[in-house]
Amino acid sequence: MTRRQPKHRPKLGGMSVSLLNELLNNTLDQGYAEAARRRAGQDPQPPRPGQIVVAVGLLLVGLLCGVGFAQARRSAPESARVKIALIHDIEARTATSNDLERRLDELAAQVARDRDAALTASRQGTAARSRLQRLESQDGLLAVRGPGVEVTVGDAPPKQQTDPVTGQQQTVQPDENGRIADRDLQVVVNALWSAGAEAIAIDGRRMTATTTIREAGGAILVDFFAVTSPYTIEAIGDPDRLLPHFVDSRVGQQYQTYVGAYQIQFDVRRRDQLTLRAAAGTDLRHASTVPEPSAPAGPSGTPSGTPSSAPSGGGAATATPSPSGTANSTPTPGGGS
Amino acid sequence: MIPGVALIVGVVLGLVLQPSVPLWLQPYLPIAVVAALDAVFGGIRARLDGIFDAKVFVVSFVSNVLVAGLVVFLGDQLGVGAQLSTGVVVVLGIRIFGNAAAIRRHMFRA
Repeated sequence: MTRRQPKHRPKLGGMSVSLLNELLNNTLDQGYAEAARRRAGQDPQPPRPGQIVVAVGLLLVGLLCGVGFAQARRSAPESARVKIALIHDIEARTATSNDLERRLDELAAQVARDRDAALTASRQGTAARSRLQRLESQDGLLAVRGPGVEVTVGDAPPKQQTDPVTGQQQTVQPDENGRIADRDLQVVVNALWSAGAEAIAIDGRRMTATTTIREAGGAILVDFFAVTSPYTIEAIGDPDRLLPHFVDSRVGQQYQTYVGAYQIQFDVRRRDQLTLRAAAGTDLRHASTVPEPSAPAGPSGTPSGTPSSAPSGGGAATATPSPSGTANSTPTPGGGS
Repeated sequence: MIPGVALIVGVVLGLVLQPSVPLWLQPYLPIAVVAALDAVFGGIRARLDGIFDAKVFVVSFVSNVLVAGLVVFLGDQLGVGAQLSTGVVVVLGIRIFGNAAAIRRHMFRA
C-alpha cells in the first residue's frame, strides 16, 4: 500500500507558510540591520547623542505604558464600581429601613401595652379592649401562630440554550408568561382567603384589609415593600380544610397547569407551625365615642389639682385621650367611669 | 543605564499624574502600548546583536504606535475595528515573542 503524493501542491499553502515564516523569523525591525550596514561603510562614530534620544524615546514608552495601565484600571471597572456602589446604597437603605421597622414594632407594642393597661382599669375599657383585640386579630394587627399551608410561587427558572448564530451557551430569562406578576399573587391570596385562611402573609408581609400587592418597574411591592421571586405565601387556617380547598379550587388547578405550560414554580405544602407577625404601620382612620353607660359621672368628687374643663356631653373619645379627670382619680384616657 | 531610568520614570509619571486621555483616543491606547512594547523589545534585541541605532529605535517606536493606531482607526471606520485590533495584537505579539526569544538566546545562551 503506497501513499500517493498529490500531484499539485497548492500554491496558496506554500505562500501562507512563507508568510508565517517571514512573520515568525524576521521579528527584528529591518531598519537596525540597514543602519548597521550604513554605519559599517562609514567611519565608526561613538553613539553618544543617541543615548539622549533613546532616553527620550523610552520615557515616552514608559509614559504610554503607565497611562495605558492607569486608564485600563480606571475605565474597565467603572461599571462594576457603579454597580457595587449601588448595591452598597441598597444594602444601607435596607438596613435603615429594617431598623426603623423594628423600632416601629417596638413602639407599636409599647403603645398597645400602655393602651391595654389604661383600658383594663375600667370595666367599660375592658369591654372595649376585648372588642379591639377581636377586630385587630381579624385585620392582621396581631401576631398569630398556628398550623396552615405554605404556597411557594416563583418565576420560571432561566433556561440554558445554544445561540443559533455563535453556538455559545447562553442564559435566557423567562418571558412574560413565565414571570409571576402582581395579579398572580393577588389571585392566589384571594383564593387562599376563600379557601378559609384566617391570616396570610407574603414573604413575611402580613395581609390586612388594605394591603396592596402591586407591580412597579418590574418589582412586586407588597404594602410598598419589594418582594422577590420565589414568593412564599403563608396562610394560617385548618390545614385539613384549607389545603384541599385551595388545591382543588379553580385557581389552584389553573396554576398547576401553568407549572407544566410555563415552568413556573408552584408548590403547596402543609405546615404544622406557622408564625405570622403583625402588620406594620396602620394609620388611625376611624374613631368614635364610647357610648355613655348609664349615669354620667357627677361633678361631685372633683379631685384636687386639676380644675378640669369637663366635656359637655360627658362621653370621651376612645381614640383621642381627652383630659377627663372630673370624676375618677384614676387616669383613664378611655372615658369616665 | 540612563534609558532604563528614563523608562521607569516614564511609567511612574504615567501612574502618578494619570493624565486624562481624551475619549476618542481611548480605544487606541492599548494598541499603542503593545506597539511601544514591540519597539522596546526590538531595541533591546538590536542592542544585544550589536546593531542598535538610536534613530531607528525612536522612529520605529513612533511609527509603530501611529500605524497601529491608524490601522485600528481605519478598521473602526470600516466596521472591523475589533477584528483588526485583534490582528494587530497578534502580529505584534508574535514579534514580541520572537524578539524575547532572541534576547533570551543572547543572555542565557539557551
